[in-house]
Amino acid sequence: MATDNPKKRPVQQSGNPHTGINLKGTFISVMLLGVFILVTWFGLYALFLSR
Amino acid sequence: MMLKNVLFPKKDARLYMSFMHVTFASLLIGGLMGLLQTLSRSGEFQLPFGINYYTILTVHGVILGLVLTTFFIVGFQFALMGKTVGMSDKQRKWAWVAFWTMLVGTITAAITILVGQANVLYTFYAPLRAHAAFYIGLALVIVGSWIAVFVNFRQLYVWKKAHPGQKSPLLAFMVVINMAMWFIASLGVATSVLIQFIPWSLGYAATINVLLSRTLFWYFGHPLVYFWLLPAYMAWYAIIPKIIGGKLFSDSLARLSFILLLMFSIPVGFHHQLTEPGIDPTWKFIQVVLTFMVVIPTLMTAFSIFATFETTGRRKGHKGLFGWFKHLPWKDVRFLAPFIGMVAFIPGGAGGIVNASHQMNTLIHNTIWVTGHFHLTVATTVILTYFGIAYWLVPHLTGRRLTPRLNKLGIIQTIIWTVGMTIMSTSMHIQGLLGGPRRSNFSNYAGGAQVDTWISYQIAQAVGGTILFIGIILMIYIFIQLAFFAPRGVQEFPIAEEEVDAEPTPKILENWYLWIGITVALILFAYTIPVIDILKHSPPGSLPFDWPIGR
Repeated sequence: MATDNPKKRPVQQSGNPHTGINLKGTFISVMLLGVFILVTWFGLYALFLSR
Repeated sequence: MMLKNVLFPKKDARLYMSFMHVTFASLLIGGLMGLLQTLSRSGEFQLPFGINYYTILTVHGVILGLVLTTFFIVGFQFALMGKTVGMSDKQRKWAWVAFWTMLVGTITAAITILVGQANVLYTFYAPLRAHAAFYIGLALVIVGSWIAVFVNFRQLYVWKKAHPGQKSPLLAFMVVINMAMWFIASLGVATSVLIQFIPWSLGYAATINVLLSRTLFWYFGHPLVYFWLLPAYMAWYAIIPKIIGGKLFSDSLARLSFILLLMFSIPVGFHHQLTEPGIDPTWKFIQVVLTFMVVIPTLMTAFSIFATFETTGRRKGHKGLFGWFKHLPWKDVRFLAPFIGMVAFIPGGAGGIVNASHQMNTLIHNTIWVTGHFHLTVATTVILTYFGIAYWLVPHLTGRRLTPRLNKLGIIQTIIWTVGMTIMSTSMHIQGLLGGPRRSNFSNYAGGAQVDTWISYQIAQAVGGTILFIGIILMIYIFIQLAFFAPRGVQEFPIAEEEVDAEPTPKILENWYLWIGITVALILFAYTIPVIDILKHSPPGSLPFDWPIGR
């Protein structure tokens, strides 16, 4: 995994400008978003089944 | 891109501002109706002067859901096209024709509603019947918007001719996607209004095929919500990165997500008709599956937004897992208002997945949960993003500046909106799960035990509605300041640029024949057999109903 500090290397050497970017925060954010959707859906599914 | 700090010529700015004036006048009128509704439904107040609850409900839905949105979108999109691909004199002339046609239609429909001749809500479900002027007015609004559609298409076409082989500007591409979707979708409602409603309301046709009219409405009604949402996505993808001091995360991702939204927004109307008798459950299921496809571009958008924030923050040197988040420009209302809109889309989207989940729809169908849901999506996500756009667009058009004082008032406005909507929408969601109905006027339903559980939530909705109306007054004040009184200057028109070494965008993403072809094929697949079924097996049509609501 690329761990370069983008500040030191503003221009990426590879053709893809995103390879050197740290997106760990984005990864965790989208996972939390997914968890929120699943919790909401299964919560209401449980309510649906209980009625 | 170098044009971002150059003001539009006066004649262009006047055109775009005309749309903004109608937008904010609609906000005031429609918002006042919303306040009256929540007060009336609290059971503590009665509408004065014998005003019919369903009149104000119809005004609220039509003025905010159809008029405010359409005028803002068309005006904003004209401004985006003017900035990115330019507008000729002839195009401007036609844009004015679009504006006046839409305005005449709006005034015709509005008067018909206000004199009590169209208490049919914004969905105008048959067999409720309004005066023909209501349907003719709505048809004019749509025809006016179609003129705007073809002006936008022409603008990009002319630009492409002048720039052979070049990629179209991202925002122009997005506008054309949105307008293509709007045109294809509004053909449904236009057909229904012209062939079914107008002859029936004039008495030329004795009966109406209710199921067909509702099917044609929802063929239009679901893409309508994406027509509202895509301009907000335009800002999230291509404008917000500039405001936070970053670059476009990925031009290709943004284009692909718009293409997917074009393809999967239309063949999905049945998820609004899941409890409708007369539609084969297999086709309902197929359209539910297609609805779930929309989750993909929506989550792509969420990923892209987070990634834009993180890359920008890290480039500025902010460390840690979420250091980038802490340092977003929270004190800039051009960012804060759309950001709150993005946050509201998380519960809004999650609720939408529940609504569309076929059998689970019975949990919330026709309850006020649905009202709570679209007050999160359109009345928070979309409208706060529109406000966020207006804070820079209006002064850019009037040659004024968003001063620190107006920025601060904007932040207060955003907070008021957030508080008011959290109270109102949350109580609507809960009351909906307890079985509270949407649309209907206050009633104690002859004192049923279940009804007792609703009243406190209805009072909470009145509190939330009142707070929101204060927010509307403040927004109108800010708009007037930005339009007429703020100090002269040049407000930036923020458009994000690509990275200098960005990957080239694949040419196939601009293959309009391919994407519109797939869109049409999906629509034909999802609708042909069920519509033939509806036409062949419908029960006898319905006579018009003018009472208890209607005319």
